[in-house]
Amino acid sequence: INDSSDPEAEQVSQPEWPENGEEWSDGGEEDDEGTGMDCGLLQAMAEEDEEINVHNEETFGMELDSHGTTEDSSSGGLLQFREPPPPPPDPKPPARHSSPFPPRQMYVPRAGPGQCGRGRGHRRGLGRGQMFEDPAVMRIVQGRPSLKVTQSYFVCENTTHSTFSSFDLFAFSGQYVVLNQTGAFMFPMSRPCPSTPQSLTPKMMQLRFGASSPRQSPFYSSTSDSVQYPGPVTQLHPQHKRLLSQKQRIFPRKPDGWDPYCNLMTAKEKEWITRLQMIQLQSEHPYLEDYYYQEYYRRIEAKMAEEELGIRGKREPPKLTTLYITKTDSYTPVVHIEGSLGQVAVSTCYSPRRAISAVHGEQKDNRQQRLEVLSKIEKLFIVLLEVEETDRMKTAVLSEAEERKLMEETQKKVEHIYSQMQHHNPLDTGGEFLPFLLVSKGKRLLSRLLPFLKNDAALEMLRIVTSNLPTLMSRDTEEALPVLYPPFRNVIGGLTFSQLIKVLKDLTSDSLTLACQNKRSSRIDNSVAVVFRTDTIFQVAGQLSQCSLVEPLLLPSNLLTLFCRYLDKHTVHQLKSNMESATGFLALPS
Amino acid sequence: MNYVPGTASLIDDIDKKHLVLLRDGRTLIGYLRSIDQFANLVFHQTVERIHVGKKFGDIPRGIFIVRGENVVLLGEIDVEKPCDTLLQQVSIEEILEEQRLQQQAKQETEKVKMQVLKDRGLSIPKADNLDEY
Repeated sequence: INDSSDPEAEQVSQPEWPENGEEWSDGGEEDDEGTGMDCGLLQAMAEEDEEINVHNEETFGMELDSHGTTEDSSSGGLLQFREPPPPPPDPKPPARHSSPFPPRQMYVPRAGPGQCGRGRGHRRGLGRGQMFEDPAVMRIVQGRPSLKVTQSYFVCENTTHSTFSSFDLFAFSGQYVVLNQTGAFMFPMSRPCPSTPQSLTPKMMQLRFGASSPRQSPFYSSTSDSVQYPGPVTQLHPQHKRLLSQKQRIFPRKPDGWDPYCNLMTAKEKEWITRLQMIQLQSEHPYLEDYYYQEYYRRIEAKMAEEELGIRGKREPPKLTTLYITKTDSYTPVVHIEGSLGQVAVSTCYSPRRAISAVHGEQKDNRQQRLEVLSKIEKLFIVLLEVEETDRMKTAVLSEAEERKLMEETQKKVEHIYSQMQHHNPLDTGGEFLPFLLVSKGKRLLSRLLPFLKNDAALEMLRIVTSNLPTLMSRDTEEALPVLYPPFRNVIGGLTFSQLIKVLKDLTSDSLTLACQNKRSSRIDNSVAVVFRTDTIFQVAGQLSQCSLVEPLLLPSNLLTLFCRYLDKHTVHQLKSNMESATGFLALPS
Repeated sequence: MNYVPGTASLIDDIDKKHLVLLRDGRTLIGYLRSIDQFANLVFHQTVERIHVGKKFGDIPRGIFIVRGENVVLLGEIDVEKPCDTLLQQVSIEEILEEQRLQQQAKQETEKVKMQVLKDRGLSIPKADNLDEY
């Protein structure tokens, strides 16, 4: 609670707990130790107490009048009740005393070491404000053998405006003073401590009452009620204040059997606690930290206001509506947006989202198709495995008839696979084998099948692959295409030249450009190298250079670069010149 | 009276008979005389009540000051309500003896349990040790 950012206070030495705890303890231990030693010690302490008392009175006694300064509220202010300064600064001029000083400082005077101190009337600590965290914590134990009562004392006051002419802290053993807001203070003499030196009391009282003339604090709330209000009233919701005042008026007196020990805790003390609790409730963001309190009183206030103005018909309870919903009366549960397929369902608090009636068809079909292809591949794979198995078994010595039979069967299977792959879907426009080739496993299937295919079939496959190369490359997500290269290489090795040219032709410029421009260009190089073995290329190039290129191949410019890697310079130059003459423009600068 | 309605405050409990259960398991009954902001309690004419089975015994303690953090729960006792007749009040010596026996029995079972666990290579740490951690 005590945010003592008071600069002055900080300069002061920190309050310390008296270390000499045993001197503070009450007589319980004294009995054990024997009274001899204690009597003397306590007596000495008492004497010192007296001295301090006298000294204090001399020093501070007469200055009672000059209290109540308006030290700016920036100075730490009184420990406990640090209210945030109310918006309008105190217009009143500083109090009429000459010497300003930090007004509210909680000072519990420190007992010197080895002393059993007693609270003194240290006003304002005079710069020596020893701010304790909690005045109540400071227990001054009376150094008398009989007294075992500790008393707490404190000063509570408005921190922001010191309109109190006098505020003093002084503690007597057995008595304490509390100043409340109005400046009045009580002096509970009802329970005088037996050990109180009576001589002190009247004098102090005199000093106290003489100087006091409580003033109203200017910012005191409109409902300036009596003393009973707990401290920081400004923090209470005005409605709350009103309620409190009402309740206080009708506060019943409970008739009870008289309890001789009742009211040990006086009203002031109770008030103190309540004030503390109130302080703890203070916050800069009340709506953030204490939402329900604020809301509750706001509603009560609204209701009261309504009642005061007369009940104007029954109002609907406020609905919880969000800002976005503008039309609540009528809504179209289904909204159709132009150009979209299907409808979008609007969900409101009155009805949940309606099921979207989507347009079926293509979406599902595609998925289904793919699933069909996948399942087919699996089935064909099983057949392929059988084919491969029989192929392996061929090494075993078999009779001719059996071998022939086996071969026939194998061939049938191969053909079956081939035909299956070919005529997958009549609707499919992508080509006969394409769906299978797009799937990586399909590629693997084909690569393993190729050795078993007859020449023309194999050629057909090659043609299809080369013609669809761009598609295959772009959709080769799993990079399974290279798996096809080795078997194709073998196929190419068995081709005639014309067939090769045809193949090359099929490798349209587009496809090659794409192939070359492919990000994975290194792989392209590899693929080209693989697909066309070096010697083949050599052959091709040689042939090209010699013939006049009757049918000029629209070779992309970068094809030359490709050739460069595999051919010697001479051939490349010849090629280049041929191309140039054929095409009529410069091939790329090599 | 409670100045801040809607909040919990002990102020209304002042001068009333209360039963408080402490963290160490003790049960105190007394008149709540004073409080502070930490809910430290001052009890008057305090009695420590020990329950063993169906018996209980009261040990007068006088004035008791309880540090707020050690309170588990606190409740007002309605003095007008008739007392529970199920429980039998016994003398202090007897109840202390009963309590001692109870503690002993508990310790025995605990010991056996620990031994059994130990034989199996298990160990359950005691809660009170964890508290201090």
